[in-house]
Amino acid sequence: MIPDSAVRLAHLIRTGELRAQEVVEYFLHRIKEKDEQLRAFITVCEKEALAQAQALDKGAPARQGLLAGVPVAVKDNIVTRGIRTTCASRILENFYPPYEATVVEKLKRAGAIIIGKTNLDEFAMGSSTENSAFFPTRNPWNLDCVPGGSSGGSAAAVAAREVPLALGSDTGGSVRQPAAFCGLVGLKPTYGRVSRYGLVAFASSLDQIGPLTRSVEDCALLTQVIAGQDHRDSTTAAQPVPDYLTELAQPLTSLRIGLISGELLEGIDPEVRTAFERIINYLEKEGAQFEEIEFSSWKIALPCYYVIAPSEASSNLARYDGVRYGFRDQKVNQLRAMYEKTRTKGFGPEVKRRIILGTFALSAGYYEAYYGQATRARHLIAREFSSALKKVDFILTPTTPEPAFRFGAKADPLAMYLSDIFTVTANLAGVPAISIPVGMTKEGLPIGLQIIGDFFQESQLFRLAFLLEKKVEFRKEYNKII
Amino acid sequence: MASKIIDLDHVCLLAALRLTEKEKEELAPQLEKIVEWVRQIAQVDLSPTEEAAYPAVDFPAPMRADVVQSSFGVEEALSNAPERDKEFFKVPQVIEGKE
Repeated sequence: MIPDSAVRLAHLIRTGELRAQEVVEYFLHRIKEKDEQLRAFITVCEKEALAQAQALDKGAPARQGLLAGVPVAVKDNIVTRGIRTTCASRILENFYPPYEATVVEKLKRAGAIIIGKTNLDEFAMGSSTENSAFFPTRNPWNLDCVPGGSSGGSAAAVAAREVPLALGSDTGGSVRQPAAFCGLVGLKPTYGRVSRYGLVAFASSLDQIGPLTRSVEDCALLTQVIAGQDHRDSTTAAQPVPDYLTELAQPLTSLRIGLISGELLEGIDPEVRTAFERIINYLEKEGAQFEEIEFSSWKIALPCYYVIAPSEASSNLARYDGVRYGFRDQKVNQLRAMYEKTRTKGFGPEVKRRIILGTFALSAGYYEAYYGQATRARHLIAREFSSALKKVDFILTPTTPEPAFRFGAKADPLAMYLSDIFTVTANLAGVPAISIPVGMTKEGLPIGLQIIGDFFQESQLFRLAFLLEKKVEFRKEYNKII
Repeated sequence: MASKIIDLDHVCLLAALRLTEKEKEELAPQLEKIVEWVRQIAQVDLSPTEEAAYPAVDFPAPMRADVVQSSFGVEEALSNAPERDKEFFKVPQVIEGKE
């Protein structure tokens, strides 16, 4: 019997009660069974995963690792040496990276088995995986709904138990929003906590790699493995990595909670609001102290994000020119035309939209009015966070204004951007934030709660999340996914 | 509808993209709407702030020791090249001429 918890699974493999090979075979079978419908994976690494498992069973040192024999799915914008990495884009459709992302190296060293690469919105630009150049992923709770995005493939795979753990990346909510839509725990770590080396850059000042799991404990375990300084990413912090798994079970010494005052909760889905208020009431009974936080900059966070992220993207994506790797339009015999045709054919509509928006915001005559203003707004957001987090330990919001929506429901790009209203601020400020499932709608879709904490206070987030997880008992809901 | 705010032809030239007339027609009003929406940033008083291009994470970021390390070999670096000539990436004609 394969246990549900990754912590337990790794323990059984370390003690020899389970063989890595049978675990991998179980999940490969599960993927074959489920993924025709869900389409969470772009690439399944059957051969490589089995080889890795056999090496572990033969006694490779990683068998004593924290993730011994645990299959992990990796979002397809994180490079894997020799395994195709597409970013769900035509422009990288046949890209086989000659190097490994730091997080993947760390996973392997801890004994984890890379079982496949998951679908996403092209270059992580989107909130539904509908922007994947290949196919959309479905939400396992309701196949007519999106799994969220951009880490939608990772979220769907974990929720449907195709894999115990997955990595996503979060630039404006791309781990937390799909976690909320698929009933998972999803963490965006502090900026600098996890190395971005090998994460294909979208917006470098906002991007962080984060775990998607079915329990807080598994989330703490995976974070522990991937966190830490990396000399190949100069923005990683030389901050020691705590033993998250041990710290998780320790009691919270202080429970001061900030709630954003004003109109932020107006207009959100009534069931999301009810679930949120239920948690607040529970915490009140647990003795939490509440404080209303004036956050004048929250309302401009989204427009600020939608200037900064596309600006950085327009610069980062300039590297796709058809010269060194990726797709090239071979029909042109002049350099400039080759660049233009390659990029025009290689990128999908949302990526082009954002490149154009970012190029405009950075162009002569407009830079100050758009990018300059947005970076000042970002400063204000960071300042408001810093003063709020002096008064409270946590800030709580719903993760998303509504549960998972149906395919095609947000054809207008601006409507799609509004899905990120609660999540972008943590990226702009750099602080960590976690989403945990706290309820279900009448229609059977999960609802997420977001907990934001201070820089490098992931342990605190896990503790509060762990406390709420025990109260909510969401785990039994997964049985509804066949 | 052509965009009143964004000169699409100019921006596409900067971004090395070529859009068809149909794509431009579709994109222009979308971008117009997004740019209008983005302008609400100006509603908030930003005078006491400065530009922040990166998060204000307060941590030491020491430099690594200046020691030579191995890097990609030529074959590895060229392994994904769309076109190569011996040890070089091959590109089409660089000097402007007839296409």
